[in-house]
Amino acid sequence: MLVLLILLPLLFGVAVLLRPPAAAKWWALGGTSLCLAIGAMLVGRFFANASPDVPFQAQGSFAWLPALGLNLSVGIDSVATLLIGLTLLLGPICVGASWTAIPQHRARLFYGWLLVLQAAMVGVFAARDLLVFYTCFEFTLLPMFVMINEFGSTNRHKAATKFFLYTFTGSIIALAGLVYTAWAVGTRATGVDGFTLDIATLTEHASHVLTAREQALVLLAMLCGFAVKVPLFPFHTWLPLAHTEAPTAGSVILAGVLLKLGTYAMYRFVLPLVPHAVLEHAPAVAILAIIGIIYAGLICWVQTDVKKLVAYSSVSHLGFCVLGLFALNSAGVTGSVLYMLNHGLSTGALFLLVGFMYERYHTRDMREIGGLGAKMPIWSTFMVFFVMSSVGLPGLNGFPSEFLCTMGAFISHTGWTSGAARHVGATWGPLGPWFGFAAGTGVIVAAIYLLAMVAKMVWGTLREPAVHHGEHDHHAGGPHLPVDLTAREIMTLLPIGVLCIVFGLFPTQTLIGAIESDVNAQVAFVHERSGEAPTEHEAHFAQQEHRQQRDAGRDEQIAGVKP
Amino acid sequence: MHALLADSTLTGGLLTLAQSDFPHALSTLTLNHYLFVSAAMFALGIIGFLTRRNLIIMFLCTELMFQAAGLALIAFGRYHLNFDGQSFVIFVLTIAAAEAAMALALVVLLFRRRESLDADLWAELKG
Amino acid sequence: MTDKLALVWPEIWLFVTTCVVMVVGLSPDLRVRKLCGWISALGLVVAIGAAVPVAHAGGLFPSITPYAKGMIGVVGLMLLPLLAGTVDRDLDAAIESGKATFSALRSNRAEFYAFFLFSLTGLMLTASADDLIWLFLALELTSLPTYIMVTISTRGTRSQEAGVKYFFLGALGAAIFLYGFALIYGATGTTDLAEIAAAFRAQSEAGGLNTIGVAGLAVALIGLCFKIAAVPMHMYAADVYQGAASGVSAMLAFVPKTAGFLAIIMLCGAVGWTHGATHDSLPAPIYILLWVIAAATMFTGNLLAIRQSSVKRILAYSSVAHSGYMLVGVIAGPGSGHGTFWDNGIAAVLFYLLTYGVTNVGTFAVLASIQKPNGEEADDIADIRGLHGTRPHLAGAMLLCVLSLLGMPPLLGFFGKVGLFTSAISAGEIPLVIVLGLNSAIAAFYYLRIARAAYLEPADEHVETRAGPIPQRVFAAVLSASAVVLLLTVAQMLMERSVTASGYHAPHAGMADTPHEALDLTRADD
Repeated sequence: MLVLLILLPLLFGVAVLLRPPAAAKWWALGGTSLCLAIGAMLVGRFFANASPDVPFQAQGSFAWLPALGLNLSVGIDSVATLLIGLTLLLGPICVGASWTAIPQHRARLFYGWLLVLQAAMVGVFAARDLLVFYTCFEFTLLPMFVMINEFGSTNRHKAATKFFLYTFTGSIIALAGLVYTAWAVGTRATGVDGFTLDIATLTEHASHVLTAREQALVLLAMLCGFAVKVPLFPFHTWLPLAHTEAPTAGSVILAGVLLKLGTYAMYRFVLPLVPHAVLEHAPAVAILAIIGIIYAGLICWVQTDVKKLVAYSSVSHLGFCVLGLFALNSAGVTGSVLYMLNHGLSTGALFLLVGFMYERYHTRDMREIGGLGAKMPIWSTFMVFFVMSSVGLPGLNGFPSEFLCTMGAFISHTGWTSGAARHVGATWGPLGPWFGFAAGTGVIVAAIYLLAMVAKMVWGTLREPAVHHGEHDHHAGGPHLPVDLTAREIMTLLPIGVLCIVFGLFPTQTLIGAIESDVNAQVAFVHERSGEAPTEHEAHFAQQEHRQQRDAGRDEQIAGVKP
Repeated sequence: MHALLADSTLTGGLLTLAQSDFPHALSTLTLNHYLFVSAAMFALGIIGFLTRRNLIIMFLCTELMFQAAGLALIAFGRYHLNFDGQSFVIFVLTIAAAEAAMALALVVLLFRRRESLDADLWAELKG
Repeated sequence: MTDKLALVWPEIWLFVTTCVVMVVGLSPDLRVRKLCGWISALGLVVAIGAAVPVAHAGGLFPSITPYAKGMIGVVGLMLLPLLAGTVDRDLDAAIESGKATFSALRSNRAEFYAFFLFSLTGLMLTASADDLIWLFLALELTSLPTYIMVTISTRGTRSQEAGVKYFFLGALGAAIFLYGFALIYGATGTTDLAEIAAAFRAQSEAGGLNTIGVAGLAVALIGLCFKIAAVPMHMYAADVYQGAASGVSAMLAFVPKTAGFLAIIMLCGAVGWTHGATHDSLPAPIYILLWVIAAATMFTGNLLAIRQSSVKRILAYSSVAHSGYMLVGVIAGPGSGHGTFWDNGIAAVLFYLLTYGVTNVGTFAVLASIQKPNGEEADDIADIRGLHGTRPHLAGAMLLCVLSLLGMPPLLGFFGKVGLFTSAISAGEIPLVIVLGLNSAIAAFYYLRIARAAYLEPADEHVETRAGPIPQRVFAAVLSASAVVLLLTVAQMLMERSVTASGYHAPHAGMADTPHEALDLTRADD
């Protein structure tokens, strides 16, 4: 079923390329909807069968190059399942949002790559070995590059190149770190024969075989890759540019899912592979996250371009996500995973709304436009709703995640160790109250800039650009859009809105309950493994021993062949 | 032949690089002297190649370097008392001849086109 | 003697084919002459067939020949359709339009194919070399025909200029590595590579390598940098690639490079990866030299490539950079000899050569398939803009090949690069891995430019291109692009073969037949 979810979009992508351009969007809609239906079944079945003893379900493996230790394997735990659900949900929404924005003669290119992108994203979340993971992780770049480069606005070439180069550079360095880990496991861990890329094996052994210094280096390498993707503070400069230039669907996917690949990879690899280094260096990462939260928030404050504002708010919000993750306690990590989902929903919706507005006015400058509440009541209602969700209004989905992340950082302190980090709220971790406090100021900044934005855009006197700029109007001749949102546009927003309310009102019954056992197991694992890393001497000894064992095995084999 | 040489080492002590009927001054030549000449030829070849712009001179410089290698090979061959070095030199000469043929063909081609042998005239290709 | 003959059957078949091609090429009938390409292909197929069963030879790398010769044959076969119609283009066009009649004296077709086969013969001989003399002759046999091929590849002055530059720098490189060979011989007293290895081993066990020997190795490696287009002998690459016809450029990116790497691997094997503090690296001077060359080559190639506007020059500088990547594998060495692809740098280099050769054919074939109004092949990046609108299959081939060169998973090039990564990591070369990673990222910049121009951007209005007249070249492009994907299905076999091929017969001091006295430069005669 998982494999189907990766292959189906590819098949539909081929279909889109082969069919006439007019049919492209229908094929894309069909493909993404079908995937969504299958995905809904998958999620349903996963949680029906969920039990703490079997963390990974729907596993599948294909021995591709067995002698080289290369398998293609997939499988999902609850976190991956939810993120796949989010990806699949955003699929049809993106197609719907691009319905009129993409000129028909280029539709095949756009929808074909959109489907490839979806397959790659699902692949990242479903991967159970590094080969699938890295392939899909890298392959998300290409479709996004095409989407920004071809369907973006004025500065798109620069944005696309910057996006690609930043993330590609980062992920190559991350690859070096991951490969180093795989090599260390393959040459030192007892019971592992040869090079393996299997994530479960690596997770099991990595923290036992990597010395403290190696762990720190691997952490650095992986952070280079994943922090660029998130993006964490000093690496974030590509994001606002990419967001402002990308087409609406591109922005939605970028904010909704692609950024989550970074945090998901941190959750999946950084925490369990190098726990010792994570514990030691978490404060540094957390400080970067907090700088990001506040710095990006302040930039938002002075932003006049709505889309750029939402983009910078993503940087700020994902700072919370990383902060929660590196709090290393149940509250923080739970909050972080919730944040991945909720940020995808609310920021995705905000990008949709900005995109719909842009389609009508061809400007995103808040100085030129404002007071739309009177003219576009439905749009304004949604806008206020999703801004509230993004601010973290209690009762909507943003609140529990933001609260848990901040609280996780606040109570994360080794001095307060309870020793049994097995329930949500267990207090253990490398951060402390000051981190929570600093992040809390970020919440206030977020409230200020988002509410200020809403105040300008929705309320106040009506301001509209006098004349549509001819050069911006590249869909001249396209269908004329009514003043307020159409039924199609409302349909793209409605499911997100419903989920926002459900996740906001019943977080424990829905999300937290779903991920609780996996997250707690992860936290306990990190807790258990973070204590001691092997010394260099031990690592060297393990390598010698491993080599001897392998040679012995080889000699036996040879002896068996030639008696 | 090898055996014969080996014999002479046994009977006559170390074989000299210069035979006995050569003038006496040459008989004190060591391998060092030959290598020094060869290294000097090689260095002159490189310097000439890099500083001169006349194609024929440049080609002669590479020839000089080839012969420097040849001289070193012969000296070493004599020193080690085997024929590897000398046979190597035969092949080196052959290759050098082949390269000379090609070089002259190219030089003629160039001269027909440009009526000059200045290497700097060939500057159509630039990045 | 005869056992050595048995090893060179592929070369013998190629040589026989070469002679047949030359004779057939003398025919006064154009139709007979046009058979030359087919005969060459047949000869290559036979040579591949003859290469596969030869399992074991002596020397330092006893099993390298089947893989290396198979690879050379396969890439040679892929180059053949790309080389079709390189020479005699104007003549053929004139005959077709009825303006001229066939003139046996003006047609160079047979010579061109014969030189190509000669060069491949030399390359195969390089793979089977076990002696410095043999190695030198094989390298020269590889190079000499390519000088002529570059010069006659187009009728313009540019390829003549390229030929002259290539020849003169080539002669310089040959003289340099020959001098290095002479010094190596002097230090060890033998030209047999295995005996040289034993002598070096005895010297290092007796207290240290002979200075002359190390100097000779260093000089030889610098000379061989010309073949692989590495710093400091990389300057010619861009000019020569741009001046030569695209097919010949593609050949230059594979044939001399492979010869150079085979020679470098053999020379490094002669001194052995048994030095240094932990007895698993090259001797310090050689190690430092190669390290500097590798890093400088990667940075120089990539940084210069960014500044170019001609696709051929970009590809030339990227070829320089790829040499730098592969040197990382040479530095890493054959690993602990435990026989996996992942810690074996030599296997990684051999595999990378294959992926690079296969992929590179495609990029140049796309250029060769497009013609400018004046009859020249496409060169500038503007020439391939809008390719997806007019010739989508070529644009797709370009995209696939460029992404593979970039190392995009899951294409073939990615696995080549991962092999270099892992082998360098397991040899403890973390700084080199970082340099390699950074450079792969820099390379993304210009590869993306090519991919974007071919696949996304609209055509420039003032640039006019049309399809080239030779359908074989399109075939070569599509073949190469599909190989980038389809070879993945047999990747395991290829990687295992490359591991077998890299089997390194480490020298030990007692191996040589005769004991070697220490070299004493001041020993006077009297």
